Order: sequence, then structure tokens, then C-alpha cells
Amino acid sequence: MKIKHQLAIFNALTRLLVILILWLMLPILVENVVYHHINNSLLEKKEKFIKHLNREEINDFIESADDSTEAFSEFSMLHNEFLVLSRAPLKPRHKFYTFSNDYRKIEGEENEYRILQYYFAYEGEGYKLEIGSSLSEVNDLTFVIRFFILIVFVVILLVTFLADTFYIEYLLKPFYKIIDTKIRRVNEPEAFDHTPIKAKSRDFRELDLVLNQMMDRIAELFKKEKQFISNVSHELLTPIALLKNKFENLLQNESLDDNAIDKIASSLKTLDMLKKIINNLLLISRIENNQYQANENINFHEILNDLQEDFQDRLEDREIDFKNQMTHNYNFIGNRTLIHILIYNLVINAIKYNRPKGDIVIFDGFENDRYFISITDSGLGMTEVHLEKIFNRFARINSDQDGQGLGLAIAESISFFHHIEIKVVSKINEGTTFTLAFPEAEK
Amino acid sequence: MNILIVEDNKELAVEVYDFLCNAGYVCKIVHTCNNALEEIGSNDYDAMLLDLGLPDGDGFEVLKTVRKTQSKMAVIVLTARGELDDRINGLHLGADDYLTKPFALTELSARLFAVIRRMHGFTLNNLIIHGFLLQLQDYKVSYNEVPISLTKKEFDIFQYLVLNKNRVITRLQLTEHIWGDILEVNSDSNFIDVHVRNLRKKLDKHTTIDWFETVRNVGYRINE
Repeated sequence: MKIKHQLAIFNALTRLLVILILWLMLPILVENVVYHHINNSLLEKKEKFIKHLNREEINDFIESADDSTEAFSEFSMLHNEFLVLSRAPLKPRHKFYTFSNDYRKIEGEENEYRILQYYFAYEGEGYKLEIGSSLSEVNDLTFVIRFFILIVFVVILLVTFLADTFYIEYLLKPFYKIIDTKIRRVNEPEAFDHTPIKAKSRDFRELDLVLNQMMDRIAELFKKEKQFISNVSHELLTPIALLKNKFENLLQNESLDDNAIDKIASSLKTLDMLKKIINNLLLISRIENNQYQANENINFHEILNDLQEDFQDRLEDREIDFKNQMTHNYNFIGNRTLIHILIYNLVINAIKYNRPKGDIVIFDGFENDRYFISITDSGLGMTEVHLEKIFNRFARINSDQDGQGLGLAIAESISFFHHIEIKVVSKINEGTTFTLAFPEAEK
Repeated sequence: MNILIVEDNKELAVEVYDFLCNAGYVCKIVHTCNNALEEIGSNDYDAMLLDLGLPDGDGFEVLKTVRKTQSKMAVIVLTARGELDDRINGLHLGADDYLTKPFALTELSARLFAVIRRMHGFTLNNLIIHGFLLQLQDYKVSYNEVPISLTKKEFDIFQYLVLNKNRVITRLQLTEHIWGDILEVNSDSNFIDVHVRNLRKKLDKHTTIDWFETVRNVGYRINE
């Protein structure tokens, strides 16, 4: 899941949580406000009533002085308010006044009321005053408010979710641009695009800046390594060239005896070996340093025909049957020189480690939509232990074998460079198969 | 034939110089770009061997200047870099051939012969050795106008030995010439012997070839 979706969903969830809490708290809040308001108005009414209170009025309210329970009541027309005055015994510890909610039946109609009970003394007699205000309207109002607020909340939730999504998308745009145009191209520091990403957020501008600096450093390192490789090749190969040419000139000297000629020739061979080891190591470094272009059309038939011709002498010498059973015309874009070296190294191994009168089979096809070429020999084969090590530099199966063990290390580097998977299967005394599985073609 | 050797490594320059003088060329050594440009300005050369890493600049700069002013001179670039970029770069600027250091002097002389021959419009088409006529244009060999059928490899070996006549050519040099600078170590092999043996058999049918020597354990030599 992408970060923009995660953020949008997280925002929506937190908002939903807040709304839920508000929704639950709403009745309490509303009641508090409404009750406060009603209480005040009840108190006001009480003050008014007490202020204008006199004996006559009390007598008007209370018809019978003996009757302490029957009280005179005054009702408003719609039964939303009432006032009741009654005699009550004076209790010194009685609370001055209290508020409560209660149901009252007034003229056959039961309603919930907010009721103020007030105890007071007038001319030595105790009275209780009850003023009530109907709550049914308030309850209706609360319901309507809750309903409208619910709708508003849902609308807010939707609108903010959409706004969030778009805004996050907009904010993160530079981030995805950094990933697409910068980070994905980390392996080609020289082709790196240094134009700053336009971003509103400072974080992304900083990220971009740091990335640019990092890429500069990587590019610098690549450049340095390239320079180093170039220097090494120059500094090591020049003395070898000098020695080689000196020996070659020396070889032409008429006065040399056979022994001296032998020694010079064998020195030349050693120099040649040294040159090839250096060149092979440099080749690996150059591949790993991305100094090769991979933009040529490669024809595998052509390469294998060339190789077969090159190896004709070796094949005839060991009477090895070279069976090229390739049937596909696969189009691969890569570096022709490197691919040539890759297949060359695999085929030469197949010759070297084959038995006399053995065979080599080159086969191609498709597996899981991926093109593959396999090179199978009928040779010595290898054990599991050997198989693990064959791609290591300077690894050799037998110390008496020719070569310095760089062939397969090079093959691996070239494969990696081209995103080719190189697989090997081997059975002792039956042979070995190297398979090159090419990356799925981009269409 | 006048050859200008542009090489900053003095010892190496001397080795190339000795070898080419021995082969009958007239040579001059310079060590820097500036000297090379001076020398080209004041004397006529048929070919130049150009090292790329020179103390006062890149050999390619010399090559550029040469191609601007003079097109008749063959240029072989000698480089220790061996990088692909350099090769492509060099081709655009008009080098005629490349040799990667370390190279065999005999290979150098064969390449030099080829580029000079090309520069002069292929006028030098035949080599003659002890009555054998090598027609370089169409890879044919004949003796007293009797054609001899050689394989491509046999012809290449014969031509290489004739171009480097009176010199010991090691198996390694021959192998490299025929199969190229292959990466495999210890490529010194007896395959070259098989081809040489066949070649000698074919030549031997026409006349005695005691001038075609085998240098024991080392290689071959054709004496004039």
C-alpha cells in the first residue's frame, strides 16, 4: 500500500473517531447547556414570584389553610410551564432550593418537566414553591440538532477525505518523482538527472538535495574507480609491454643458444599469462564499474557460429561433437563484446572439462516466458561443493587444469550486468549444464 | 618508409625503434604531443605510432590535428587503456588501427604493413619468398604460377611469417595473430603446430623449404 493511501485512510479513521466521541458527548453537552438555561429562567421566575408575594396571594394560591397537600397550581396554556405553591413544614436543614427532572401529569397529560423546588418561610409559616418547565420541546430540539450534526459530520468526513487524498497526492508528488527519476537510476550515476525537484514541502527539497549530493558522491567514486582502473591498466601493462618487447627483440639475437631461446620464450609465456590475468581482472572491474554500453542487437546464432569456427581446432583435437541445436531467433539488446566473452567462457569450459570424444549441446527455448540458452557438456561434472565455488575468482576444480579460474567469475559479472540469470546443474561423470536465463523482454 | 614513434615511455620507444629499424623502416622517436606536432609539421612520415597517454596531453589531440592537416599518414594508436570508449573515439577521429599494450612487435609490423598498404591504395599486393608468390588481395599462393590451395589460417600464418621474415616467431605470437587476443590463459597450444605442419606439407611438394625453420620448443622462422 502506498503512503498516500495509508495517510488518507489514517486521517479518515482519526476523524471518524473524533466524530464518534463528539456524537456520544452531544446529549450531555446539549443537556448541560439547555438545563443551565432553563435553571436560570426558573430562578428568575422564582425571584419575580417571591418579590411580589403577599398574604393575599398566598391565600389565593392556597384555598384551604388546613390542607397542606393540596396546592394551588397555575398552568400555562400549552402545559409547558406550571407553578405550584404548597405548605410545607419548616425544616431547618432543608436545602434552600433544588432542581430535578420529573414526570408530572397535568390535566391528563403526562410530560417531563424540569422542576425548581424552593422552600421558604413567610410570616412564620413554611411553604414549598415548585416551578416547572416542560422538557418535551427541548428533547425534540436535541434530536433535531443531533440529526443535523450527523449529516454535517458525514459531509465533512467525505469532503475532508477527498481533500486529504488530493492534497496528500499533491504533496507526495515530488516524493514519487524522486523515486522514479532519481532513486531507480542509482546504478547509472553518470546519467543522473541533477535538476532539482519542485516541491512545496521543505522535507522533499532536502531529500532531493541530499540525494543529489549522494549521487554526486557515487558518481565521483565511479569516476575515481574508472580513473583508478585506467591508471592500473596503464601502470601495470606498460612495464609488461616493455618486458615483452625487450624479450622479443632479444629473441632475434643470432648469438643465442637453444637454452637461452627457450628461457626467453618461456618468460614471454609467463608475461602473457600475467597480461591476461590483469586484463581479466580489469574486465571484471570495468563491468562492475558500468563502463560498458548495452545497446547493441545481439544475434546468438552469429556468436555461436563464430565460436564454433574459433574452436574448430580444439574440437577436432579432442574429437568433441559440437551440436548447435538452437532454433529460436531471440532478439537481445546488450553489449556484443561482453556477450561474446560470456558464451566464449562457457563453451571453452565445456571443451576443457569434457571427455575426449564427448559432445557439447547448445540448446535454446522459453521457460516461464523467459528465453534461455543452455550449454551442456558430457564431461567430468562437479560435486555440490565445487558448484558453490565455481563463480568465485581464482576458483579451480583441479590444480592441474589450465587457466587461472577467472572465466566463470567474468561470466557471472557479465550476466549480472545484463540481468541474465546464470544457473548450473552438474552430475559427476555425466556432465554439466550451464543455463543463461535472459530477462523477460520489455514490450 | 618513415615512421614516427610517439611514446612517452623511453625504454619502450627504443624497443619499438630497434625492432622497426631492423625491419627496414626509418624511425624517429618523440615523447610529447608538442614534439610530435612539430615533427609532423617539418617532416613527411608514412605512418605514426601514437601512444595516448602523453605527459603534455592526450594523444587524441595529436590525431585530431593530423587528420585536419594531413590525410596521407597512417596512424596506429597504441593504448594501454584498451577501453571501448577510446576505440570508438579513435575510430571517429580517423585512426587506422589499434594495438593494445602489451602487443607483440611482430604483430605491430604486420599491422603497420597492412595500414601502409591501405594508405597507398593497395599497390603492394604481392609478397615473394623463395619463388612463392603470395597474392594478398585474394589470399592466393602460387609457385611458378602453379596455384597452391591453402586454408585461411594457413595463408595467415604464411603471410605473418613472411612479413616478419628472418625473425623467430613464437607460437604465442602466431596464436594471438590467428585467434586474436583471447582472454584465456595458457592459450599457447599445439593447434598452431597442426596448421604449420599442413602448410609446410603443401609448400614442400613444390620445392625444398629448408628456409622454413622450426625453432625447437619456441616457434618458427622463415629466412630469406
